[in-house]
Amino acid sequence: MLAYIVRRTAYGFVVVLGVLLLLFALFFLYAEPVEMARRAVGEKAPPEVLEQWVVNHGYAKPTWWNAEAPGDTMIADHFRSMLTFDFGRSDSDDSPILGRIRAGMGPSLSLTLPLFAFGLVFGVGLSLFVAYFRETYIDRMGVVLCVLGMSLSVLLYIIGGQFLIGKLLRWFPISGFDPSPGVMMRFLALPVLVGLAEGLGGSIRFYRTVFIEETGRDYVRTARAKGCGDGRIMARHVLHNAMIPILTRVVVSIPFLFQGSLLLESFFGIPGLGSMMVDAINGNDFATLRAMVFIGALLFIGAQILTDIAYTLVDPRVRLS
Amino acid sequence: MRLRRAGGRPGRATFVCAMLVALAACSNNPYSESDDELKVRYKTLPGPTKTLDPAVSYSSLEHQVTANVYETLLEYHYLKRPYTLMPGLSVAVPERQELERGRVAYRFDLREGMLFQNDPSFALGGEGRTTRTIVAADIAFELMRIADPAVTSPVIATFSKIEGLREFSERLQALRDETPEFAELRIDRQYEKAGGIPGVRLHGDYGLEIVLTEPYPQILYWFAMPFTTPVPWEAVVYYDGEDGRPFFKDHPVGCGPFVVSEFDKQSKIVMSRNENWYGVRHPEWKAPGTVYPSEGEAIDDELGRLDPAYVGRSLPLLDRVELRLEKENIPAFNKFLQGYYDASGIVRESFDKVVHEGALSPEMAARGMKLEKQVDPDLRYIGFNMNDPVIGTPAGDRGRKLRQAMSLAIDVVEYNRVFSNGRGVPAQSPIPPGIYGYAAEYRNPYRQPDLARAQALLEEAGYPGGIDSDTGKPLRLSFDLGDTSTAGRLRFRFFVDQWAKLGIDVEVAATTYNKFRQKVAEGAYQIFMWGWIADYPDPENFLFLLWGTMAQSTSGGPNTANFDHPEFNRLFEEMKGLDNGPERLAIIRRMRDLLEVERPWIELSHGESYALYHAWMKNVKPAGLSLPAAKYVDIDPVARARMRAEWNRPILWPAYAMALLATMIAVPGVLTFLRERQ
Repeated sequence: MLAYIVRRTAYGFVVVLGVLLLLFALFFLYAEPVEMARRAVGEKAPPEVLEQWVVNHGYAKPTWWNAEAPGDTMIADHFRSMLTFDFGRSDSDDSPILGRIRAGMGPSLSLTLPLFAFGLVFGVGLSLFVAYFRETYIDRMGVVLCVLGMSLSVLLYIIGGQFLIGKLLRWFPISGFDPSPGVMMRFLALPVLVGLAEGLGGSIRFYRTVFIEETGRDYVRTARAKGCGDGRIMARHVLHNAMIPILTRVVVSIPFLFQGSLLLESFFGIPGLGSMMVDAINGNDFATLRAMVFIGALLFIGAQILTDIAYTLVDPRVRLS
Repeated sequence: MRLRRAGGRPGRATFVCAMLVALAACSNNPYSESDDELKVRYKTLPGPTKTLDPAVSYSSLEHQVTANVYETLLEYHYLKRPYTLMPGLSVAVPERQELERGRVAYRFDLREGMLFQNDPSFALGGEGRTTRTIVAADIAFELMRIADPAVTSPVIATFSKIEGLREFSERLQALRDETPEFAELRIDRQYEKAGGIPGVRLHGDYGLEIVLTEPYPQILYWFAMPFTTPVPWEAVVYYDGEDGRPFFKDHPVGCGPFVVSEFDKQSKIVMSRNENWYGVRHPEWKAPGTVYPSEGEAIDDELGRLDPAYVGRSLPLLDRVELRLEKENIPAFNKFLQGYYDASGIVRESFDKVVHEGALSPEMAARGMKLEKQVDPDLRYIGFNMNDPVIGTPAGDRGRKLRQAMSLAIDVVEYNRVFSNGRGVPAQSPIPPGIYGYAAEYRNPYRQPDLARAQALLEEAGYPGGIDSDTGKPLRLSFDLGDTSTAGRLRFRFFVDQWAKLGIDVEVAATTYNKFRQKVAEGAYQIFMWGWIADYPDPENFLFLLWGTMAQSTSGGPNTANFDHPEFNRLFEEMKGLDNGPERLAIIRRMRDLLEVERPWIELSHGESYALYHAWMKNVKPAGLSLPAAKYVDIDPVARARMRAEWNRPILWPAYAMALLATMIAVPGVLTFLRERQ
């Protein structure tokens, strides 16, 4: 397995280099540094100030090759900063990007972790429930509600949730965030509820299909013939044997919890990494964007390897070689 | 097994009880209840601040902080309109002194014995020191920072009128490039070694003389902006982002009525009273900026802004100002309606609910709200690229008549009705209301919609019905916009449809904003739409947008129309150096008349802001310019707490109903299923 992990990591490194090259091409060959400067310094800044900003931020260097000082080029700076995880400063406000990522990770995780945990528990639990009552009115009603839930836009959930729960029923604050542990839940309750409601339909449909497929298998009939109760069959045998598809879905999503949620964070005023991405997109902050995309690529590759490893843990028949 | 079962039932019961208690205790209050008794003003911040460095910050968003934390030599009177300068840190508003070679000077005298806010950075100047006296050298230091290329101040061009500022900037850069050791020196020592700015002269600790190479009366307005606030070198040196210290741009150290006591760029900024502020330490001075004003406009008296209970009272009136980041309008507006923000603009989606026939709706009025309207000192306009051979100066009289015809076709009242809920004052000239030179009675003959006259002019221009009489081909023009959104296209479509009534075929070329700017830089555009917001209340700040020297094509300046008219240029150069008075007004009128005929722009409208305030807010006066208003505003926290409690009682029955419904759905199914299994 170790050889497999080393090989996958080496492939992953090559992919990362490709991603970095693509990022450079996308962000810095296309973008006009003067326009980045204008967004950072302001519309009213005179051309000389914009030029000075470009020089101060290293965008006036040669792009590919510098005969006078080899290595002092934009592409070399790009690879150097990404591969050493020294992401430099934001184009928008000159803040150290690594510091912003560290600061944003906490609020993002405080939203995405409960969302992930509750989503998993309710998704698996409710799908087991509807699969258990398959072909009854509960199952049919579940299907209708799930499809309805999946058909609605996430924006509708957010605005509707804020209107209904925050404004009309006044249960929780409409938006905002406070990192103090005592009051944090007051702010997170609504975005977690909204995120849960938005994601639950798809999860239940997915897990239900997996569970129903498993309940048709021979070992379920055998267990039932031996007198095993339905609840025990679902909880012990079906759930266990359905772990591969569940793990695929779950493990891949774990690393992305660090990146937060773009829309939920923006609308609920949670100062996480998702919100930071939105700001970076709006503010032409390519330095921050490339760091986030780079981290996203690393997380994705890491998640793929983790998923493969997780398969071996839940299914002894799987061998990585 | 028995133990688990015995413990299980009470456990479930406890859980259910806990859920019910949690539901009963839920609240939508986003703030700590302990603040209910305090005079805390809650405001929204539509985005994170980029920089609070006063030499760099140039946005109204950041000005909400910098204006209240950084005190200036001069400031605007809170109530008087037109905007009037009055002394701030300076003892008086300086008079212009004429010097040899056409130079002018302004001499400021600072009040003695004023202190900066308390801050650990002052220990750099002496062990145990937490503050120090403000001296004229602190303002000279800030002006040198504006000149410093490493600071990238957006206003360096404006301050280059100070004698020797540009040379200082170049000297500083050269020394840094030539001598690496120089760049390692402490920043104030670098400035000292670079020789300072000759046009910034110190007279003792408190006297500051600014020498300009040419008359520029508008410079005084810049001394009412945080760009020219005193900045302690200690703070700039200390807050360098090293060893856990923040950067200076995120840690303001000033001398204003408030200090930033909590700074979380992505969440909230809290400003608390500055106990070192000169108004607090020396109330006996009764300096104009430290007491509530006794004079204002007639309407101020009517609206209770000259309440005797406030007139002459020492400022600031609030304990704290909290700016909360709210990137989305709708949640922010809903929180305002719940009483969690004290004031708000009106979101488009709720406009009809809030405003009925230009006044507050009965529903809002019943909640004690107040509506304030304010015409902003700004201008939105359609511009023509005057370098264009078809529509610009090269087309001569033909182009001029074409522009006049196109101007006559635009009905901006209808545009405002469709796109801005009727908000906006139709513009007749580049000068907005409240700015010297604005004439309320003036009607621009080319800005009154008149299709018949427009068609006649088009015919005179040689384009009858939109067909070029020389070639027989339809006249095709391009309207460039930097907005690819559907809403943006719709807005532009409105103008295109109006021109289509004349038979002119205008194509909308929608690109991203960056691409649009690129087209502008390359001169590859014909018609565009843009706007300008006043930096200071002077007509020069609008008319310079059409000054030939500022043409985009030759200098990269903000004259995007590339209007370069010798007579206009001459009049502008004459006007900009004059003080307000009949002579200046006459020149402004001549410039206006010239623009009326030449039509490099189609003036659209001046923005009109509608702002809502809760009944507990006192002394609010909307201002089109960014003013340090926080010190004048007052809050009645008792009334606020009462109304918030009344408006925000949670409604819990739907939670119980949903739980009951879920049980009612699940239980029969479960029972039936179990029965069938048996």
